[in-house]
Amino acid sequence: MIPGRLMAFVLALAAVQGADAERSIEVSAVARGGRVYVSCAFAASTLDELGEAIHAGLATSITYDVELRRPVWWFDRTLASSSVVASVRHDTLTGRYQLTREIDGRNDDTQVTDDQDAVRKYLTTFAKLPLFTASDLEANVEYVVRLQVRTRPRVRWFVWPWEPSAATGSARFTYIP
Amino acid sequence: MAEAGRSHTSLRLTPPPAAPPARTPARRPMRDNPWLVMLGIGALVALLAGTMTLANRSNRLAPDFLSEFVLYALSVVDLTMLVALVFVLARSVIKLLVEQRRALPFARFRAKLVTVLLAMTLVPAVLVLLVGSELIRNNVDRWFTAQMDETLESAQRIASDYYRDRQRQVSDESAHVARLLAAIDLGQADVRPVRDVVAPAVNDQRAGLIEVYRMPRGHEPVGTLVAVVDVASPSLPAGAIRGSSDRLAMRAAADQPDIWLREPLESGGELIRAASAVRRPDGSVSGVVVASVHLTGDMAVRARRMTKAYESYTQLRVLRQPLTGVYLSFFLMVTLMILVAATWMGLYLAKRITRPVQALAVAAREIGAGHFEHRVERETADEFGSLVDAFNSMADELATNRRRLDRSTVDLEQKHAEVEGRRRFTEAILERVATGVVTIDGSGFITTINPAAIRLLGLGASVVGQAAAVVFNEPDLQPLAVIAQPRGVGAADPPAQELSLTREGRDVALAVASTRLHGEDGVADGRVLVVDDITPLIRAQKVAAWREVARRLAHEIKNPLTPIQLCAQRLQRQFSTAPDQVKALVDECTTTIVGEVESLKTLVDEFSQFAQMPAPRRESTDVHDLLKHILVLYDGLFERVRVDTLFALDVPRVRLDPDQIRRVIINLVDNAIEAINQQGQVVLETHHVPGTNLVRLVVADDGPGIAPADREKLFMPYYSTKKRGSGLGLAIVRRIVAEHGGTIEVAENQPKGTRFTIELPCEPDGAGIAGIA
Repeated sequence: MIPGRLMAFVLALAAVQGADAERSIEVSAVARGGRVYVSCAFAASTLDELGEAIHAGLATSITYDVELRRPVWWFDRTLASSSVVASVRHDTLTGRYQLTREIDGRNDDTQVTDDQDAVRKYLTTFAKLPLFTASDLEANVEYVVRLQVRTRPRVRWFVWPWEPSAATGSARFTYIP
Repeated sequence: MAEAGRSHTSLRLTPPPAAPPARTPARRPMRDNPWLVMLGIGALVALLAGTMTLANRSNRLAPDFLSEFVLYALSVVDLTMLVALVFVLARSVIKLLVEQRRALPFARFRAKLVTVLLAMTLVPAVLVLLVGSELIRNNVDRWFTAQMDETLESAQRIASDYYRDRQRQVSDESAHVARLLAAIDLGQADVRPVRDVVAPAVNDQRAGLIEVYRMPRGHEPVGTLVAVVDVASPSLPAGAIRGSSDRLAMRAAADQPDIWLREPLESGGELIRAASAVRRPDGSVSGVVVASVHLTGDMAVRARRMTKAYESYTQLRVLRQPLTGVYLSFFLMVTLMILVAATWMGLYLAKRITRPVQALAVAAREIGAGHFEHRVERETADEFGSLVDAFNSMADELATNRRRLDRSTVDLEQKHAEVEGRRRFTEAILERVATGVVTIDGSGFITTINPAAIRLLGLGASVVGQAAAVVFNEPDLQPLAVIAQPRGVGAADPPAQELSLTREGRDVALAVASTRLHGEDGVADGRVLVVDDITPLIRAQKVAAWREVARRLAHEIKNPLTPIQLCAQRLQRQFSTAPDQVKALVDECTTTIVGEVESLKTLVDEFSQFAQMPAPRRESTDVHDLLKHILVLYDGLFERVRVDTLFALDVPRVRLDPDQIRRVIINLVDNAIEAINQQGQVVLETHHVPGTNLVRLVVADDGPGIAPADREKLFMPYYSTKKRGSGLGLAIVRRIVAEHGGTIEVAENQPKGTRFTIELPCEPDGAGIAGIA
């Protein structure tokens, strides 16, 4: 009986943690004009842990690994993937933040600001980024956009070198040309 | 020796060793590979040196680099080494458990040795790891103090406030100048009004450099600004970059926010630049003013250093946990390296110690099982190697001795087979030979006696093992005891002696010779008695003697008989004219003389016939037919005599002379009829004795019989129990039978009477069976 209860407890704990991870990020996707636009709103509280690193002048980044998938039975088939990296560097002397966003290694946007709210928003959200082309999608078929978030730098000691995802989220949409 | 002679000695031979069973392939020998060992030690030292070097230089590396890449690499290495250590330990533990379960030699000793070695390594290493980890964590915590926090934060704030004040100052100045220039047409050719507005700010040191731009006119390219005038302070160093002010002006003209920047100069100082748009009264932009202030090199460097120190300190504090992890990982990696090396070394040493001993134990078992070719391969050159060499030498000697023993065993088996064959051959001869052989050991006990001796001496097989003096204590055997008794060394063998024994009612003449047996050392080791039945020889000698007597008698008597007869006849003729009385007397006398002479002639003829018996003319004869033809002669001749026949069914034909055998049978039947006084029963029997391939003819009567003492004499010439007769009948019968290779014996008939038995050899191929009708 004890192993059974312990297994049930572990499964329940994993389910709760998985649900929290799903709720901490909001993902939406829409296909328009031959492109798949993805929007994301990451919980701003996540930046509390990175705040000290940002103000210490460390190059801080949040990486969004986005995958476009097509559900096939119990498994999803990955059709395309993209990476959005939002990074910030704080100039301690001038008190200004240099914000940069790269999509698949390509510089998409650069900003300089001294507004911390703007920095928080810049790092944790992006709206309607055309990450995928819709030319290969089939009409009236449901697709899934799955998103994983990784943060840099890691401010805690880790024994396991491979970094787990800070948060995950997904959104479903039906492609209507 | 006596006991050995009295009993059969059986030699138990060790069977040759069976072929060794198929064995599992031998394990790969363990060898010391100096190059491999040196390479391993070198790699370990290099790894340790690299780790120590990296640890020493870790303070020069950026904290984020340490906390990201170095910590990642260290974690991977630590995990890998931990897995390797666990694998090595688990493998060793499983192997030790399996060896113990299989009860392999020295498994417990090896397990204890490995356990002790691992404990001696693990315990101090883990203790050092725990203490060292605590020290590292404490030392890292001591990096950060409240005093240091306040000092560095204050310094950083001073530098930051100074920069922000200068930035605010230059921004205000650019805005002020822009407002002043709002009423001036920046596009006019004369720029003196513009310079007049700008110059006071430069002269008053409110700005080091002021640059004024105007918007392009109709023929000038759109999107660009046209420099109108720039006023610089003489203290401003040369080399100010125009491009940055152009970009800043463009951003101000575009009404973008955040229109200031910080530009380092080649001379070491910095320019803080701010731009403000010049707006007409209607709000449109007519130009841009870019104001710059110069920060000297020392000031900029100090401010930057203060900021850098603060950032470094803050970064260390933020990354305190990962950095602690880096140093702990360094420490853990060194500990794991030591553990892996120590574990490997412990296992290696345990194997190095126990493996030769295990190999020796296995080899001892193999050799004990008869696998003398098993050897232990020398793996090391130390004392264990010497032990292995000694063991292999011992195994060589054992194998050599075993091979010699095998060869000796084979030779012994061959000799034993030869001796056994010879013994069987001798036994077969002794079993079949007609000569009796008795062996007596040195102690006077009979060791062997063959059937012929048993038969001739009338003994039993149970005499083997008994003292010869006791066995030969019988009155008629005492001469044997005399010649069988031990004699002194050097004494000659006694001469052969003749014995006369009565066995089964007949006299037997034996010749006994005694020969001394010598052992391998030449010492007398008993005697052998050879007993020959010389009865037939003596009989033959007697017959020959009688034949010679008969021949001489015939010759000496027959010669004068004819003159005597002629003289008597002459007297008879001379007195034929004499008076009757005389004549009668003469006739009577001469008739008597002639008659007696005739009788003597007849007697002499029989003698002559006995002496000159013709050789038998043998032919294949049906014995039963022969007997039947003979019995026909007696049909109706004697009314009170009944002649019966008992013929066997399997009597083969016999090669014999029918006339001579007829004479033999008629003689025996006549004697039988005469013995029963022509009143009784006469029986003729035939038998076949397959074992000896003899045909036995029996003539028996139910008469009064013959005394045992007279039975052998019956066959002697001139011996007769009848009132009349020459006494040559049975002598001739015996001779005829002897000429046919047979024997004749006389015995008592049951219940009464006499029984003559003739044994004749039948045809070798046993062709034909005598008919019975």
